Amino acid sequence: MGRTDSLAKLAWAYGVHLARRRLTRPRSQLEDLFDTYAADGIRALQPSERERHPHLVGCINCGLCALAASRIGKTRLPDLASSYLRLYARLGDASSDVAGDEADLESAAAACPVGVPLPEVAAIVRRMTAGRVRGATRQADTPMRIKT
Amino acid sequence: MTGAGVARDLSLRGLSVLLLEKGDWGAGTTGASSWMIHGGPRYLEFDWDTTRLSTQDAGYIVSIARNLVYRVVFIIPVLPHDKNNIERMETAMEVYDRFQPLKKAHPHRRLTAEEALQAEPGLTRELIGAVTMEEWGVDPHRLVYANVEDAMAHGTRALNHTKVVDLVRDGGKVIGVRYRGSDGAMSEARARVVVNATGPWSPQISGLAGMTVQLRPAKGIHIVYPHRISNFSISAESVDGRDLLMVSHAGFTLLGTTDDDFYGDLDSVDVLEDEVDYLLQAFERVFPSIRDYRPVRTTTGVRPTLFKWRRYEDELSRRFEVIDHAADGVDGFVTIAGGKLSMYRLMAEQTSDAVCRKLGHQAPCTTATTPLPGNESEMEPAGELARRCGIPALAAVKLQSRHGSHAEKVLDGGRAGRLVCRCEPITEAELAYSARHEQVRTLADAFRRVALAAGPCAGAACVLRAAEVIGAELGWSASQRFDAAREFVRGAWLGRAPVLGHAGWAQEELAQGAMRGLMN
Repeated sequence: MGRTDSLAKLAWAYGVHLARRRLTRPRSQLEDLFDTYAADGIRALQPSERERHPHLVGCINCGLCALAASRIGKTRLPDLASSYLRLYARLGDASSDVAGDEADLESAAAACPVGVPLPEVAAIVRRMTAGRVRGATRQADTPMRIKT
Repeated sequence: MTGAGVARDLSLRGLSVLLLEKGDWGAGTTGASSWMIHGGPRYLEFDWDTTRLSTQDAGYIVSIARNLVYRVVFIIPVLPHDKNNIERMETAMEVYDRFQPLKKAHPHRRLTAEEALQAEPGLTRELIGAVTMEEWGVDPHRLVYANVEDAMAHGTRALNHTKVVDLVRDGGKVIGVRYRGSDGAMSEARARVVVNATGPWSPQISGLAGMTVQLRPAKGIHIVYPHRISNFSISAESVDGRDLLMVSHAGFTLLGTTDDDFYGDLDSVDVLEDEVDYLLQAFERVFPSIRDYRPVRTTTGVRPTLFKWRRYEDELSRRFEVIDHAADGVDGFVTIAGGKLSMYRLMAEQTSDAVCRKLGHQAPCTTATTPLPGNESEMEPAGELARRCGIPALAAVKLQSRHGSHAEKVLDGGRAGRLVCRCEPITEAELAYSARHEQVRTLADAFRRVALAAGPCAGAACVLRAAEVIGAELGWSASQRFDAAREFVRGAWLGRAPVLGHAGWAQEELAQGAMRGLMN
């Protein structure tokens, strides 16, 4: 009975939906989507970053990059691939970690046994922490805060 | 989860409660979940009540556990030959939108194929459109512990690694339990009511009272990737037409799940390579690069689904039932069976109502509005906490996500700045706090409580140091610390072996070298 009732209500909703689609002009909802979730830090990688993404997150956290860049004991640059790129939806909250002095990322990348391109990862992390959404087209707003 | 919820509910109502957990908090079905508090739009096909109750209760949980939840936004791509075309899919989302305000979620959006690819460039070029859907992600381990912590703050005595081995009976009445503690010692506790909230183990415990609780246990597995793989979470259709989910959580991705009748040993549930391939096959169709990513482990658990004959697993209701066994001649004994994580609070409320009725105790349920620990006040910005305590802002973000406004209290131990785990990252102070105040007794407990070894290295870089920190708190000898690390590595291996591909084996070689003999 419950199932029959559920399917009947869905069928009615389907009819209403089809009628509405015929009577109204569709408009793009992509902007709305990004606007809605900008505050939650849900932001897009660029297509080129997306293509390279499996390689960018290949870090196994062996720590050799930190040795090469003399950054032992810190979770800041160059611990980008193991820590920061894991979490890119909330990187805006951690922006202070990538500010300030520059680590020797070239040396760090050269030491990486799985070939993670750390300078490239750093560029993405800096873009994300700077709060820029969808490449250079939009400034993100506030850090994530759940409104209840 | 439900047991912790019941203990919290009853203690908030002023009753005296003893809570026993045979493993660690959240180590069973709860920890093996999809880490979501979701309404379940798929139940709209056969059970709108479950959708309504789930979304409503999810709304309460979101309000009382703000630090533990975050929005999870799905893109549901529609491909040619999918069982639902784009109009049907959007209809389902339009109906689901009616429930979304109950859990403070936004309505769906509809995207063209081109727009969907802009939002998520990793999707297949073959898609013909997509709709979005919003759910809430949650750390289930912390959610369980937050309930335990609050219950203890209101007088509950809560013991993990403590197994109930028998019920104490007086004629037709259950008057208590016998249990074995973590040190192996047997004890007995008397109670006016005993609640059996043991998920898939419910039939075993009710059997101790001579009662039959019939479930249809269903096994589910997830593949875990230690990164956020996609911008949005993604839905996919499996080869047998089931809806699968790739869920982008805070710092990792869960891909699942299966749903198969389970008849084996509930304490030894293995992941099969076939199950892994079943999931990857489905996602390769919508997200072609999925096999380029390196999974780090799998999870598996058994759902305590209510019994029903002649139904496919997917069609089984996620409803729950509170059973007062007095009707069958055994008084003082109540079982809560079925249900799902999203409704744990409601399940706990109705179970507690039943207990209060039996005791003649009149007190209203307040769990829907009383904040869980860490949510009593607003959290400060993570950057400020980081500056003041001398830790990376990322560590502060993570710390707050686990402890909410209590984060600074956790760092009071004096070792705030030193990191044990760089992937997560976790400070020594938090790890020590978990051993001192949060009943962490093993490294696996620390994985659940503070996400130790949850990152890309799966513990290779941190497990020995973590054993030192926890061992110092718990008084372990040097050999005990080494044994604890070895036990953790062996346990983790069981969940990792089914997903090791080419790159995974290479990492395993490196990790085993780093473990200095722990795997031998």
